[in-house]
Amino acid sequence: MSLTVQNLHFSYGPIKALDDVSLSLEGGAAGLLGPNGAGKTTLIKILLGFLRPQKGEGRVLGYDIRSEQKKLRRLIGYMPEDDCFLPGMDAVTFTAFFGELAGMPKQEAMKRAHEVLFYVGLGEARYRLLDTYSAGMRQRLKLAQALVHDPKLLFLDEPTSNLDPQGRVEVLELIKDLANGKGIQILLSSHILSDIEMVCEDVVILNRGKVVAQGKIKDLKRMNFRLYELKIKGEREKWLDKLSQLGCLAEVTEDGLVKLYLPGEVEPKEIFKVAYQTGIQIRHFRQSQSSLEDFFAQVVGVD
Amino acid sequence: MIREHGYTHWDGQLRERRFPWWPITRLNLKLAFRKKHFRPVYALSFLPAFFFIVAIYISERIEDFRFMMRGGRLILFEVNPSFFKNYLAGDFLFFMLVLIMVFAGAGLVADDFRFNALPLYFSRPLRKKDYLLGKAAVIAFFVLTLTVFPAIIFIIFKLLFSGSFVFLRNYPWISLSIIGYSLFLTLFFCFYTLFLSCLSRNSRYVSVIIFAVYLFSDFLYVFLYNWFRQPLLALISIKLNLQQIASFAFGVKAAQPFSWIWSFLVICAFCGVAGYFIIRKIRAVEVIR
Repeated sequence: MSLTVQNLHFSYGPIKALDDVSLSLEGGAAGLLGPNGAGKTTLIKILLGFLRPQKGEGRVLGYDIRSEQKKLRRLIGYMPEDDCFLPGMDAVTFTAFFGELAGMPKQEAMKRAHEVLFYVGLGEARYRLLDTYSAGMRQRLKLAQALVHDPKLLFLDEPTSNLDPQGRVEVLELIKDLANGKGIQILLSSHILSDIEMVCEDVVILNRGKVVAQGKIKDLKRMNFRLYELKIKGEREKWLDKLSQLGCLAEVTEDGLVKLYLPGEVEPKEIFKVAYQTGIQIRHFRQSQSSLEDFFAQVVGVD
Repeated sequence: MIREHGYTHWDGQLRERRFPWWPITRLNLKLAFRKKHFRPVYALSFLPAFFFIVAIYISERIEDFRFMMRGGRLILFEVNPSFFKNYLAGDFLFFMLVLIMVFAGAGLVADDFRFNALPLYFSRPLRKKDYLLGKAAVIAFFVLTLTVFPAIIFIIFKLLFSGSFVFLRNYPWISLSIIGYSLFLTLFFCFYTLFLSCLSRNSRYVSVIIFAVYLFSDFLYVFLYNWFRQPLLALISIKLNLQQIASFAFGVKAAQPFSWIWSFLVICAFCGVAGYFIIRKIRAVEVIR
């Protein structure tokens, strides 16, 4: 197993960032999904050894996250969320430098820096000063420095933040290419559902420091809930109250459309029964195709 | 599709470095020498060394330079421990060292804070002490090249010009004094610069602070001394403390009428506080509670 953690706890003072987090991931690309402040970055920082968990244990690529960080970091590539670089340097020197710090011989690091910069699409700009790079170029540069020592596992923290749509697609394509048959395992942290859906097979959903769901995306989408879209006439509060007592979750869109998440044990005819009891007219009723977004909305909450 | 080449694996073997800090030092030295005004400043710092070598030459050819002497002896031309103390604890050398710290040291940590580079360093098999050693070695390079290196050259020139080992026989401990005091000076400047570099994310502010703290400590001493006439006030001045310690290291009469131990304790206390602050400040993550 490439990554397992058990009962991780971490607090920033009184604020619980991770609360009894346990997860296990196999090879391939996995997504770490959650709203802002869910604990994704904290989890990655614990896995890298930047933060020490107050409770719990974990192993990454067979190494203990508490006691074998040095060995572990040799095999990991990390692309942080923040814009980070060293001023006054060009991309080749920058990338080769981090290769050397990872333990590559100087010449090899330089050679490899050229290769990865071409791979991420910065081949032509590799001798330009980093101070002159655009946001998209810096994002690709961060990916290059994470790849330079040919890691076995790549932690990508919000890799598409601050990117325009075109830049986003380009970076995601690179990550997708890395995830497909390159032998590199990827943990992609993002709050953007479509990014995770595009690249990953597995997903771990965090909310308020807790794991609320994990598994294969395709399985989660087929999980034990169904989504219906309804248009109704009448006082909906009472109707929604009764439905929530049955375990249904409801989301009302701006244009008055009611999205209803039904648990597996609740039959669709219950919706009509409750509508009849509460004097509601159902004007539109359609089963909707569930997406990761819907699942996310269900597990994280639709408030 | 933006890829120009496909991804290839690296077939080499990652190795454990004996000195993991060395790439950091090398890179920062390279970056320092790339700075616009740094090279002239660094070259200018060797000016006293040049004059001292000329003085050694004159001291050995004193008969040829009699015309320069009026009445008694010319102290400068006498190569003794005081000669080395004058060089290694000279006002001009200290001033140039501070100037070098402004150019080459201010951004060492401040730039890493500003451009969020610390997580990149610490995501490598690098410990905090490796990172700090790498940065401190940059400062050590500049301080040692302006202290130990010229001082050893002075000894070699003295031996060459005199053609005998009398100097070394008279002062067998001089090399140790030079090395010991230079290392102390290096240690002080490492703590001084790294501490101030940790104070701000803006290397320009740090440059100003490095310069200002050094000058201000001296001005404050002069100001307070004129008021209170208390020699112990010299402990406020960085320069005077270092000179006091130098007097002890070279067995020369101290300029201030108190023991060198006090100055040593003041500098050590400063380094201790600075070290504590640096260690607390350098971390891979900003933890906001």
